[in-house]
Order: sequence, then C-alpha cells, then structure tokens
Amino acid sequence: MSLTHLNARGEAHMVDVADKPESRREAAASGRIHMRPETLALLAEGGLPKGDVLATARIAGIQAAKRTHELIPLCHALALSKVAVDFRLDEAESCVEVTATCRLNGRTGVEMEALTAVSVACLTLYDMCKAVDKSMEIGAIQLESKSGGRSGDYRRDTLESRPAPIVTGEGQAGEVSLGSRCDIASPCIRVKCLAELRERLGVGEIAVPLDSLERSDVAGLKAALKVLDPRFSRLDEGRVLCAVNQVMASDATPVTNEDEVAFFPPVTGG
Amino acid sequence: MIRVQEAPFDAGTEQQALLAGRTDIGAVVSFTGLVRDFNERPEVTALTLEHYPGMTESALEAIVEEAKGRWPLDAVRVIHRVGRLTPGDPIVLVVVASAHRRAAFEACDFIMDYLKTRAPFWKKEHASDGDYWVSERHSDHADARRWEA
Repeated sequence: MSLTHLNARGEAHMVDVADKPESRREAAASGRIHMRPETLALLAEGGLPKGDVLATARIAGIQAAKRTHELIPLCHALALSKVAVDFRLDEAESCVEVTATCRLNGRTGVEMEALTAVSVACLTLYDMCKAVDKSMEIGAIQLESKSGGRSGDYRRDTLESRPAPIVTGEGQAGEVSLGSRCDIASPCIRVKCLAELRERLGVGEIAVPLDSLERSDVAGLKAALKVLDPRFSRLDEGRVLCAVNQVMASDATPVTNEDEVAFFPPVTGG
Repeated sequence: MIRVQEAPFDAGTEQQALLAGRTDIGAVVSFTGLVRDFNERPEVTALTLEHYPGMTESALEAIVEEAKGRWPLDAVRVIHRVGRLTPGDPIVLVVVASAHRRAAFEACDFIMDYLKTRAPFWKKEHASDGDYWVSERHSDHADARRWEA
C-alpha cells in the first residue's frame, strides 16, 4: 500500500488518470452537527433569523462538491453527474445528520467531493444557526461507501450502513419504531413488517394493545393498525401475506395476547 | 438436514456428506441455484437476501416432510444462504437421495418449486442504477401448482 499522491521522491504530485478506464463512480459521506435542543427545534420550525436553513445548506453542499478541486490541492476537476445532500434531524441525539452522495462516470473517485459537500453543508448549518447557538459542534465526518475504480468497493461497517438487514426487526436505517414490546401489564400483539413492506411502510416492529382490537383476528388487527397509524392503510396495497406465530395465516386467523404477527410481501427466495 | 447460513457452501462436499457410509442409495440429484448478473434489470451487481428467522426453518422443514410423504427418499439436504451475495455465488442447494432416480429427480424439483413460493426469503437486488426488491414470478406459482394435481 502506498500513497498515490506522492511520487518516488516523496513529493506531492497529481496522479495522471489519462490512461485509466472510465467507470461508474459513486461515493457517500456523512457528518453530524450537534446543537442545543432549542436550536434544533427552531431549525425544524423554520424559526431561525437567516431563513430556510436546510435548503441553503443543501445548495452550499452541492456547490462545494462541484468546487472540490479548488480546495483540495491534488484533486482533479470533475464533471459530476449527480450530487445529493440530505439532512436528518435527530432529536434524540440533538443533532442534524448530513449525508451526501456524488456520482460520475469517470477516471477518478468522488469520495473527496462527497466529504467536501458534507463539510461545507455542516459549516453552512453552523453559519445559519450561530446567531442563536455558538456551542454547536461539527463532527464524525466520514466516508460511508464508495464504488467503482481499481481500488474496489468500500463500505463502512456499522449497523446503520449495512446494505440491508438479514434478520428482520429492530432499528433499521430510516424506519420508525412505534411502541415497544409487550409488557406484562398490558396484553398486546407484537407485529412485524418484513422486507419490502417494512421499507414501504417505514415500520419494522410495533406492539398493538389487545384491547384496541374490535375483533380478535388478523382482520381486526389490521383495522386497529390503521387507526393507530395511517401508514398501515398500505397493508391493502398489492399482495401482502401474513403469518401468526410463524405459521401462514389469513384474515380470519384468531390472534391473542403475546402473539407474533408478521406481514410481508410474496416470497422471492431460491 | 436444513441450514440457513451466510457462509458459502460446496455442493460436492455436501453431497459426499449426505452419502457417507450409505450403500442403499441408488440415485442422488443435486440442484444449486446461483446469483445471475441480470434479472428484472441488467447489470445486477449484488443481492441481499432477507429471511424470517424461525419461520424460515420451519417452512423448509415442512416442505421436506411433504416431499418425504410423496416419494420414498433416503436423505435430503437443503441449504439456503442469506445476506449479501454477488453474481456467481451459490444461493441455494437441494440434494435428494433415493433408491431410484425418478423419485430423486421429482422430489428435488418439487422442493425447489415449493421453496420458491413458500419459504420466507426476499431478494433485494443491487443494480448499477439502484436497488429494488424482486417481484414474485407467476411462472414460479405455475411451477408449484404442477404438484397439486
């Protein structure tokens, strides 16, 4: 392993990429800016003096990605085909998570562009919010994944960035868990949504109190879920299968306390 | 024997293990399913297999039991992988041993048809232009219905 930006004498130089084959390159980076909960709340409500914070930071990130070669000495100027900057407001951690994805068909990687986009989007967030909070802290700026090129694919090995769950269940990226597991005090049914259905609904697991069911069967459970959260109306879209305690079931199958009910799309194994 | 695992498998090794010490077996049929680099879209670069732990094993068990009820089988081995796989990787192995070839051929075919339509596995394919969940195929259901007559 050697540093490609150093020549045989150890001097910095720009890598000649003229003879490298073009390939599809993609990189994703992420970072966080921690702030006071009040600042995050103002940001979410759009109540900050400089106006729409996230829209401004998004444009700043995109612009920065395009100008990476002006900032980082040995970076090539690239004709990026895509730059996307996204934000997730994390109230539990009191921070904004910034992610950037860059893509092009070319001879050199785009991870510096993605990292630059995240960095400048974070700096812009700071600038937009500093009137109300000077203690904000930018951190954890890192490459999440890159693909294409000779050095091969890279993916940061954390729970959040794993490509997809093998085991269906708790805490996948971008999904919301509602309620908690059954406790002894209140009889309830544990509901799981699997595979494509989990992603479509944005719900992995939810506990449904037994007394919210008008009828103690799968049809009654579906009705109770729809009252609980409108997203469950999508249980009627397309073919959705159901298993009660891991055995295939239908709308008429009875359910009771502590049952595990799974909804999932048609199977596609083999 | 049924296994759901992330690790790769070797079809030859599995078949040898199934036959070890047996001289009453007259026929062994083995099917290996592989990851293709094209499916609903061209240029599939990888796929991720998700399953429903617990139910997966019992569904596969039920399929094998059903096969044993229909044909005189001496031994069956089913291995299905989960997690991230790339084109060329083996996904599924079904090895069926019987005294005679017809039972072994048919039971292997049957187990695969039922596995594809009844075992809780889901494929998400990663292609050059994005990820998508694989849709069910009507031909798989038509294949499975052949055994219901």
